[in-house]
Amino acid sequence: MNNFSFPFTRRRFLQGSGAAAVALTFSGRGVSAQEKKLNVYNWDTYIGETTLSSFTDNTGVQVQYDLYANLEEMFAKFQAGNPGYDVIFPSDYMIETMINADMLVELDRSKIPNFKNIDPNFLNPSFDPGCKYNVPYMWGSCGIGYRKSKVGEVDSWKILLDDDKHSGRMALLADQRFVIGVTLLYLGYSANTTNPDEIDAARDLLIKAKKHLKGFVPDSGQDMLISGDVDVVMEWNGDVLKVMEEDDDLTYTIPKEGTVIWVDGLCIPKGAPNMENAYKFLNHLADAQVNAEVANTVHYATTNKAAREHVAKADLDNPAIYAPDDVLKRSQALADVGDALPLYDAAWTEIQAA
Amino acid sequence: MGGTFFFLYFPIVSLIAFSFNDSKRNITWQGFTLRYYEKAFENSQLHDAFLNSLTVAGVSTTVSTIFGTMLGLSLYRFRFPAQGPFEGMVHLPIVIPEICMAVAMVAFFFTVEMPLGLTTITVSHIAFSIPFVAVVIRARMAGFEQSLEEASYDLGANQWQTFWNVTFPYMKPGMVAGALLAFTLSLDDFVITFFTSGPGSTTFPIKIYSMVRFSVTPEVNAASTVLIVLTLALTAVALVIQSRSQRKIDHG
Amino acid sequence: MESWRKNKLAFSVLVLPPTAWLVIFFTVPLLIMWVYSFAERGPQGQIYLAVNFANYARAIEWIHLGIIWKSVWVAAISTAITFAVGFPLAMGIAFAPTRWKNLLLLLVILPFWTNLLIRTYAWIAVLRTRGFLNFGLEWLHDEFSAFFALIGLPDVMGEFQALELLYNQKAVVIGLVYVYLPFLVLPIYATLEKLNKSYLEASLDLGAGHWRTLFSVTMPLAMPGVVSGCLLAFILSMGTFLTPALLGGTDSEMIGNLIARQFSSSRDWPFGSALSFLLLYLTFIILWVRASMASRKRGPI
Repeated sequence: MNNFSFPFTRRRFLQGSGAAAVALTFSGRGVSAQEKKLNVYNWDTYIGETTLSSFTDNTGVQVQYDLYANLEEMFAKFQAGNPGYDVIFPSDYMIETMINADMLVELDRSKIPNFKNIDPNFLNPSFDPGCKYNVPYMWGSCGIGYRKSKVGEVDSWKILLDDDKHSGRMALLADQRFVIGVTLLYLGYSANTTNPDEIDAARDLLIKAKKHLKGFVPDSGQDMLISGDVDVVMEWNGDVLKVMEEDDDLTYTIPKEGTVIWVDGLCIPKGAPNMENAYKFLNHLADAQVNAEVANTVHYATTNKAAREHVAKADLDNPAIYAPDDVLKRSQALADVGDALPLYDAAWTEIQAA
Repeated sequence: MGGTFFFLYFPIVSLIAFSFNDSKRNITWQGFTLRYYEKAFENSQLHDAFLNSLTVAGVSTTVSTIFGTMLGLSLYRFRFPAQGPFEGMVHLPIVIPEICMAVAMVAFFFTVEMPLGLTTITVSHIAFSIPFVAVVIRARMAGFEQSLEEASYDLGANQWQTFWNVTFPYMKPGMVAGALLAFTLSLDDFVITFFTSGPGSTTFPIKIYSMVRFSVTPEVNAASTVLIVLTLALTAVALVIQSRSQRKIDHG
Repeated sequence: MESWRKNKLAFSVLVLPPTAWLVIFFTVPLLIMWVYSFAERGPQGQIYLAVNFANYARAIEWIHLGIIWKSVWVAAISTAITFAVGFPLAMGIAFAPTRWKNLLLLLVILPFWTNLLIRTYAWIAVLRTRGFLNFGLEWLHDEFSAFFALIGLPDVMGEFQALELLYNQKAVVIGLVYVYLPFLVLPIYATLEKLNKSYLEASLDLGAGHWRTLFSVTMPLAMPGVVSGCLLAFILSMGTFLTPALLGGTDSEMIGNLIARQFSSSRDWPFGSALSFLLLYLTFIILWVRASMASRKRGPI
């Protein structure tokens, strides 16, 4: 390999697998630590209604809350450097990717006393063993939303992946890792396999299944479900839940083969200009009351054990939000597959073009 | 023409209708409500995002219309070495996929250590809007009778006077069309805006694209409806004023 | 056209500021991407600078060329329809009374000041199986059935069949026509606006029919605008990714989606850059062929 130094950068180079990586790390902008400011980067409406104001009341720190619309685009931006954000909310595999790319700060647990509130079940995730880089936040799953009167009971991914009974009345998500991931699970493989043969097997099954699908839809499967365009969709639990509130005939299930779950965590990216305030914010969100208010607003399952006392009973009892323990055991979170990612991309391209 | 307007406004009518729908989802009609207008008026984040978008679009439209006009005019007007490659370069921003330009911009801004924010968004918007204006201006100038300019010189006008009194008025409809394109491009851009935004510069499209993940509420429809109605109202006022002053001139 | 040498001052005043802006804030950043297109992807999507053509080799694999070809077709069809819809509109505005022109222009552009995503969702609400359009058609169908039943012809209309208007290529084309209409209408308007109405009246007075006037007077004069407008609509449709993602079916992926994916979930900037530049080279070859054909027609100057 013929490497040469990047002509525009005066930054240091990371040594990675014998090759000089271009590390466009942000060198900090010399913002004084005393400033009472915090830049949070998150999804829209992914906090409670009073989360920010109560934080400002308690600490005097003003929060600038900015939004991303896609984790991968957030990552792409951080690949160039940290534009000045202090706290971000990546998911499982993205946390692992960002750790591997040396983008996250190893957390000083002594500054987050409320970390003790986190459910021990979430303290040793595969993507960040020991939670050294993240404070677990909310979690959810990707399952099957369906219309009971049209399809009866559903307990397997077979209905979407290997069955033509509802041909033309089904849709899958437009997310390559999640779709190929559940297909791998259905075939009995790991959702994070790096074995090309297993990925090819999943690809072939999806190409066959495609004939019976209406589309690969980005986050709008629940709308198709309630409008009657489809009867079965693969969707996030929170999205299906919203339409279940308006239509009794709709329901959500996690198939017996298990599924791909997601766990979001709070992280501090390297180069964060207001590090101390970031720790205060992480601690604030791990507080039982504050965290419960978030859970009661967004209706996702919290990883905060102490907060569950304050979470609405209807949510706690809802299996579409807090899945039974055995479901968790059968399921997997996505991992950083590193050099195997182009295999997933190639498979996805072939599925789309077939 | 009527059919085309029907085509243009059909989805807009559906959008407006759903802003009064008493349901969180834009699917089925659940009854009339004004509550999303209340929410839109109270949502300060939405206002900030709107204001950011309008600021960026205003500045970028002004600068790119001027620059694009200059470029379009000179491309029409002058013969110079390497004109072909130069024209190619000028039109690159139209051809290159948006996401590629977005990533290029963010890599560039970090290299030159320009902090991301409204400035970097505006700078990028100007860059991708210039060629659109230039294209419209060139199309407008094609077939311009240069004898008009020559006549003006013959009458003793200098270069500047000739430009101002002859060329500029002729270009004006092209500039209006180009400015409208530039404003629309800037107001609606998500990809490049997202990559070049920094803390405190969330724009309206970023807000909406981010909302989709958890909850698109009719609040957004309400906000869009307000924008449409406001624009129409302002236009109506402008028309009334224009026709009044016209009448004054006619009678004066 | 005059040589730049004759009027160096005017030339530099006009050309230098916009060129400087474009070079600094576009060409230089783009050069970074060009360098990346020869790089190698690291395990997390890092960019290891190198000189290799593997990304280009991958970009010209059949599957990717097939996607490009499909995108060209979709873009060409939507551009043709956009032209059919947009040209009469541009003409209507250009020949409207002066005081109405700007209002009409504004009315054309106004729908595009609402967010693209919201507009696309609105289209979905219109086109879906139980959407407004099908509701409207069903209503018409029922009215007609009732009418036929009244005149003693029951059942001629049969059962109402909802049209499948969404999640297929048709929907993508409708969406593209809608999204890129102003990019075609405005340049054509800008060219037609200067057309003296008296030319057309003269042509009509001289006994040429409306169609003949359109084809032998209006069209040739509008040509620069038509070419620019169609090129804009075509190139922009080629690169689109939101419309096929939301309105398309299972085989609607276009080259824009493939490229966008390389910069997001596939984290392969070098390959994404190579695809983008491949598209760029192709566009320039087409434009170059067009230019040289045009100059051959004119003969040597």
